[in-house]
Amino acid sequence: MTPSHLPPGFRRIWRRELRQIATRPSLAFTLVPLPLILFLMLAVIFAPGLPRDLPVAVVDLDGSTMSRQIVRMADAAADVEVVEQLASLSEARQALVAQRAYAVLMIPAGLEHDILLGQRPEVVVFSNSQFLTAGGIVGRSLSTTVSTFSSGVSLRLLEAQGVGSDRALDLITPIPVQQSPLFNPSLDYIQFLLSAIMPTVMQIFICATAVLSFSREHHSPNGMPRLQRIALSPTRAILGKLLPYTLVGTFVLLLGDVLLFNVFDASFRGNVFVFFLNGLVFILTCQAMGALIALIAKDTTGALGMMGLIVAPSFGFAGVSFPRFGMTLFSQIWGAIIPLTPYLQLRTDQTLRGAPLEYSLPTMGWLFAQLLIFSALLWVMTRKTMAQTPVSENTISDTQESTS
Amino acid sequence: MKKLRQFIAEILGVIGRLFADDSAKSTMIVGILIYSVLYPQPYVGEVLRDVPVVVIDQDNSTASRTLVREIDVTDLVDVTMSAPDMETARDAFYRRDVYGIFVIPAGFEADILASRPAPVAAYSDGSYLLIYSNVMRAVATVAGTMGAQVNYARLTALGVDDGVARTMLSPVAVTNVAVFNPQGGYASYVIPAAFVLILQQTLLMGIGLLHAGRRPPTGQRLWATITAYFTLYMVWVAFTQMLIPYLYGIPRTGDLATLLLISVPFICACIAMGFAIAMAIPWREGVVFLLVVIGMPLFFLSGISWPVEMIPDHLRSLSLLVPSSTAISAFVAVDQMGASARDVASAIETQLVLVVVYSALAVALSRLPRNRR
Repeated sequence: MTPSHLPPGFRRIWRRELRQIATRPSLAFTLVPLPLILFLMLAVIFAPGLPRDLPVAVVDLDGSTMSRQIVRMADAAADVEVVEQLASLSEARQALVAQRAYAVLMIPAGLEHDILLGQRPEVVVFSNSQFLTAGGIVGRSLSTTVSTFSSGVSLRLLEAQGVGSDRALDLITPIPVQQSPLFNPSLDYIQFLLSAIMPTVMQIFICATAVLSFSREHHSPNGMPRLQRIALSPTRAILGKLLPYTLVGTFVLLLGDVLLFNVFDASFRGNVFVFFLNGLVFILTCQAMGALIALIAKDTTGALGMMGLIVAPSFGFAGVSFPRFGMTLFSQIWGAIIPLTPYLQLRTDQTLRGAPLEYSLPTMGWLFAQLLIFSALLWVMTRKTMAQTPVSENTISDTQESTS
Repeated sequence: MKKLRQFIAEILGVIGRLFADDSAKSTMIVGILIYSVLYPQPYVGEVLRDVPVVVIDQDNSTASRTLVREIDVTDLVDVTMSAPDMETARDAFYRRDVYGIFVIPAGFEADILASRPAPVAAYSDGSYLLIYSNVMRAVATVAGTMGAQVNYARLTALGVDDGVARTMLSPVAVTNVAVFNPQGGYASYVIPAAFVLILQQTLLMGIGLLHAGRRPPTGQRLWATITAYFTLYMVWVAFTQMLIPYLYGIPRTGDLATLLLISVPFICACIAMGFAIAMAIPWREGVVFLLVVIGMPLFFLSGISWPVEMIPDHLRSLSLLVPSSTAISAFVAVDQMGASARDVASAIETQLVLVVVYSALAVALSRLPRNRR
């Protein structure tokens, strides 16, 4: 132990922790540069916001003016690009399997002829639903294109029957649906996914740094009793060891949010103070959870592994992609004890939704309850491990006793 | 023969050491088993059903009530409450009691009877795309069907012939066929892909735990080590790509030979990369830390949940250095879409190149004075 001028207590632990970070360049690298590199990488991946010009193939068995018009209309849509014209369905299947196209637009032979005869030809869109996002987008886009084309034909037919053009339009869509996405009008993936993924990645970093910090004491010989000597109380030990990372974590999380809200113009319609408080409590909860895991696990790598098992699948349990109300009871409970779940819910409330404060209070209470439980457990475990009698001295005295 | 027996003994020795190392065992054995139970849990429902929605029926007529009933009948949404006004509906929405608001304005039935367009409105949460898509699909389908009935009645009333009326209103039929994952199941979409990444990460981590900061094995011991990890992970390939889909009822179409053609080079690439990382980062905790935090970004680089065409070229090229970036979609193509070796040839090539690159790198790094101690 390096001698220190400071008396035992919070400041001594705090300074010791800072020194430990400073003497470990790889640890320092994982605190700020690494999360920022990952943030930037994720931002670059999702930068387009909405998938555009996704490749699709066309099997035009008709080759008529009308079928070519459908293909042109499909290609003109923003989210789809016709990259291949294929001769048969088997070639089309190959294009799907080899992932050259996310969907195939199949126009039957005799389309124009059948339309003119009023025989209702059928256009089929085959979309690859194994790629749920891309396949869904191109499938919807192609179906819409064909429906639009169909409405155009319908309009001409009705006009030919002597129905006025305004009246004909009314006839085609008797019950128009005004579809309004609340809060994320363009259904942007930056708002929906990136905004949730960044804190998820951050959760792993925060837990992992807390694990490493506590493992350095717990998994070195007599580390915890030594902590007792220089911290005097579990509270001071916990605060002194974790607060440096709280500050760094808050800073990095904020940098990510600055990137999101300023560079990507994600909408922020909530209360800045509540948003900030949410981030802070989230970080503290993750730290308490990470430190607790370090005190339970047998060694450092075991602690990191255990932490990985809990936090790595947490994105699924938080219900951003597949909503929580559609999950099994087990998944709902498991999700409820992970800090990410209430954090993301409150984050959505206070950024996209702009929900009045009173609606966020229960979620806030949920997150605070997690903080309370994890810190209480951490405090108990810290006190317990700090109170252990130093092992080596024991062994020494044991051997002395046995020899004497 | 004696040599072979010696080699097998050496392999068993490697497996024995793996089991004796708690961290390696919990990563390469227990971890995968826990993941196979835990990871699929949020998605076992496969398809999102019965999204709770609120209805504001300002018309309260036979027509509007029929529309509400039809929407409630769909699998997609569930009408759980009806609200007198937007304020009440918004309150339920903010409290997350409902995820969609459906408004039928006053005069809906009168408009239909007077042959005027009778608009309705649907609001849903754009911050949860799956929910949004359910609500909109329900409303659009029901309004479309009901609208077609109304129209058909109008045209036939005008004296238009039955069949002509039908073709006039929708002269071209559109059918959307979802292939490879017909019901659009979420588990079918995410689980086969995620377990390829889980194999890669646990293998890299395990090799890091067993070899980082230690003198690398040489000669026969090295080959025995590689064979041991390879054999273990081929068992895991079978477990995650065949047994797990079976247990979770995920349809699988791939054949075994093609699965081997992609999984052998993939596992080899991961082993080579694992040794390169273990030689480059002599700090066991550092290896685990790095692999835990990059798992999720790697998934988004694989093209499964975010189209690979949208990833900038530089980043895409860089990502090819990680086996999963090309292997995940190749595994999915083989297992879920019945791809042949020709369809995934470029992914197989990439894996083979990675085997060479990382083997060379691992050998070069092992010459560092640090790794020769």
